[in-house]
Amino acid sequence: MGEIFRRIQYLLHRRRLDRELESDMEFHREMAARAGRSNFGNTLRMREQARETWGWTWLDRLVQDLRYGVRTLARSPGFTLMAVLVLAIGIGINVSAFSLFNMVALKPLPVRDPESLVRLERRSPGNSTDEMPYQSVLFYGRNAKTLSAAMAVLGVPPMQVEDDVQPTSISFVTPNYFTELGTPAAYGRLFDPARDGISNGAPSIVLSYGLWQRRFGGDPSIVGQTIHIDKKPATVIGITPSAFASLGGQHPDIWLPIAQQPYFVEGSHILTDPSVASVRMWGRLAPGVAPKAAAQELRALTDELRRQHPKEIWDNEFIQVEPGGHLQVMQPDMYRIAAMVAVLTLLILAVACANLGGLLLARAVTREREIGIRVVIGAGRARIFRQLCTESLLLALLGAAAGLALGYVVVRVALAQLDAPKWLTADPDWRVLAFTFAVALASALFFGLAPALQIARQRQRKTMVRQILVGAQVAASCVLLIVAGLLVRATQHALYTDPGFGYRQVLSIDPQLGRHGYTPAAARAYLDQMQARLRATPGVRSVSLVSLPPMGHSQSRFSTDANGSSIEVYPNSVSPEFFQTMGIPLLAGRTFLPNEKNAVVVSQSFARQAWPTKNPLGQKVVNGDSTDFVIGVAGNARINAVNDDDATEEYWAAQPDDLPEMTILASTSGDPGSLPPIAKSIGESLDSRLFPEIRLLKTLYHERVSVVEQIASVVSLIGLVAVLLAGVGIVGLVAFTVSQRTKEIAIRMALGAKRAQVLAAVLRQFLWPVAIGLVAGAGIAATASRVLRRALYGVSNFDPAGYALAIVVLLAIVGLAAVLPARRALKLDLAKTLHYD
Amino acid sequence: MPMSDTPKPVTPSGALTMLILRVLQSGSLHGYAIAQRIHILSSEVLAVEEGLLYPTLQKMLVKGFVTAEWGISETNRKVRFYRLTPEGRKHLKAELSDYDRVTQAIQDILRTA
Repeated sequence: MGEIFRRIQYLLHRRRLDRELESDMEFHREMAARAGRSNFGNTLRMREQARETWGWTWLDRLVQDLRYGVRTLARSPGFTLMAVLVLAIGIGINVSAFSLFNMVALKPLPVRDPESLVRLERRSPGNSTDEMPYQSVLFYGRNAKTLSAAMAVLGVPPMQVEDDVQPTSISFVTPNYFTELGTPAAYGRLFDPARDGISNGAPSIVLSYGLWQRRFGGDPSIVGQTIHIDKKPATVIGITPSAFASLGGQHPDIWLPIAQQPYFVEGSHILTDPSVASVRMWGRLAPGVAPKAAAQELRALTDELRRQHPKEIWDNEFIQVEPGGHLQVMQPDMYRIAAMVAVLTLLILAVACANLGGLLLARAVTREREIGIRVVIGAGRARIFRQLCTESLLLALLGAAAGLALGYVVVRVALAQLDAPKWLTADPDWRVLAFTFAVALASALFFGLAPALQIARQRQRKTMVRQILVGAQVAASCVLLIVAGLLVRATQHALYTDPGFGYRQVLSIDPQLGRHGYTPAAARAYLDQMQARLRATPGVRSVSLVSLPPMGHSQSRFSTDANGSSIEVYPNSVSPEFFQTMGIPLLAGRTFLPNEKNAVVVSQSFARQAWPTKNPLGQKVVNGDSTDFVIGVAGNARINAVNDDDATEEYWAAQPDDLPEMTILASTSGDPGSLPPIAKSIGESLDSRLFPEIRLLKTLYHERVSVVEQIASVVSLIGLVAVLLAGVGIVGLVAFTVSQRTKEIAIRMALGAKRAQVLAAVLRQFLWPVAIGLVAGAGIAATASRVLRRALYGVSNFDPAGYALAIVVLLAIVGLAAVLPARRALKLDLAKTLHYD
Repeated sequence: MPMSDTPKPVTPSGALTMLILRVLQSGSLHGYAIAQRIHILSSEVLAVEEGLLYPTLQKMLVKGFVTAEWGISETNRKVRFYRLTPEGRKHLKAELSDYDRVTQAIQDILRTA
């Protein structure tokens, strides 16, 4: 300990101590001279040796190297600028991607003790859902000793504020929601477990800061006033702060206490019915409790719950406990997408580094003299190597600083575009800074190590490293181009091909009968009337019912057994006219009879998977304990999974008991735009307590597609940047190779070689690297696109056109980048070149 | 003084730390005096070059065997005097006993072999 302390002392006071050492040695010489002995040693060198024992020489050398590096870089500003620019692009893209990931998955929410917040979801080996019955939440909350609090959020379709045309987003929450998060009110008060936890309390609502500004002009006197939500009067008790961080990144405009849900949604049994899973559950771990311990206790409680409601709990059901104190609770497939994005952005960095490596090698040839001199005056290989590495590090740090700035701009733009919560800022936090630093170090290693080794060994003229660099650049840009090409094709696919159903002229009307306590009989009466009146409306072609409407709020998946294999399907219950309304062709068999039992219609993809060689009609399908027979085969229509090209569908006839949960679909022969108001007035005349959600499928579809378009354009831009980088890099390397071999070329030409032959001889060394790079790139892209396939609309991972296009573009750019500088070099003056030295 | 008259002085490289510690045992000395003392006490057999003396002294400072303080030399010059620390004393003791054991062992071999 004492020694380390003394060493640090020596570092801090080394100027003074060095002077003292000098004086000691001077005195020694004086005395020696007096005694008649003279010493001819080098004082400076001796002092240096003495100083070395302090253990700080490396620091001195580093400072020396840095100074030298700064001077060298400042002497060639063109090179430095180019290098920093290339690195800024490579590092900046990675920093942007990481910043966004950090925001979503790593940054803790600015709430009280975010570490102990957990998201609780039902899971079993065969089932999963993100919602659970409210009664279960209450049960867990009452009995779990490992949880200090249980919170529930009930998301509902938007509701009407006063007489607004545009509905407003709403969430019902348990009254401890804001107190658990420690959220202060901007004005008034937020919910309080003591006052807002009872169903017969005074109806009270909390407004979001945004709604308060937009809808109520930011007037604080709104607190205490009464407004109407779906025509029910309620008192505004407070406003959330502008930078409010909510759980799960959900930001409704109005918050209501969950206990008062039956008041706002008349006749609803959601809160009391143990079979309706409708709320999302969050919890706070009791102090000192590990998530694992909580999961264990909750599993025991789930078994207890099964004894009370045997039908509602799955076999082997457990509660999954995930960290909940971030913007987004990450699911496994999100991690997959994040990993894929990481691979793509790291490829850009690889291109940038390979590019810069080439630049450094080329520069080394021009620095031969300088380095030669340093070697001659006694610098060892290790010293030269260290000096070059320091220079690379310096470049990497400059590039990282520029990349950090680029990342900041990108994140700011992204936040503005995405309408993100106010508490998110683009300012890099320590995670982003650490990441940037790590990326800078890694890239310095990647672009600087190989050239530094070559140069220190005075072998900068060897071709091997250059070939590897070219191969790496080609492979990386090949992957990026192919993925970009696939995405562009996928966008086209999504925009210009038929998703399997007619979305352009269909309207969905969801009256939410079940949520308003309709019995099956009452629902039948309502739906029959609604359907009859819609059919009587001019321009309406077909009307039908569906349980999970296209692109709706919820979807379901489960496994079904057919012909001995298990198939994942998107299930749906429909009325007989469904296929006609949706414009889904019946390829074989027939549609349902009303209320038909033990009959299913399957999609073509289902039939192909289950019975590749047999006629699917009349085949048996087993779903749990019921057995059904195939009566018809419908065209593939991914109405609940527009993203998933592999989706298979299975339909059942709607049964009388399903009616309260059904949505009405209506298709028109012309533009459906005039139908929503008519549907709204029909709904009002049937039951004025209901506020049906009316949506045009066309709008929903375009919303989803525009997301894909955005992703595709961003990736294309990135791909293009990568290809340009690679192109510039190859131009540089070829020009350099040619300049290095000028004399050889001149001799060949003087001896009568044709230009084309010389060109071929010069460029031959790049042939293999380019070929290997292309093959490797295509292979990596094929693997990567398998992951992409799920996430994006109709991407086919073996789309030959996408691959061919990418490879042709890349070859064209590489070819151009190689031939142009080489050709220019061939126009050299033979006599002059041969006379030179 | 022609060099060939006397045998060439030997540089006591390995044991220098021990020798310095030993000559400082009787009181603090400056660098030149340390070299002188070693030279004289060894009957002019050992010579300590400054290229070896000062790095060794620096190492001993860092290790904490000696401390340096300002004093006035016999030529009236401000100079640093090196003084043994308790830690240095302890180290000297350990070194000496090690040294004794090794020389004893070597002599045993030389006598009997």
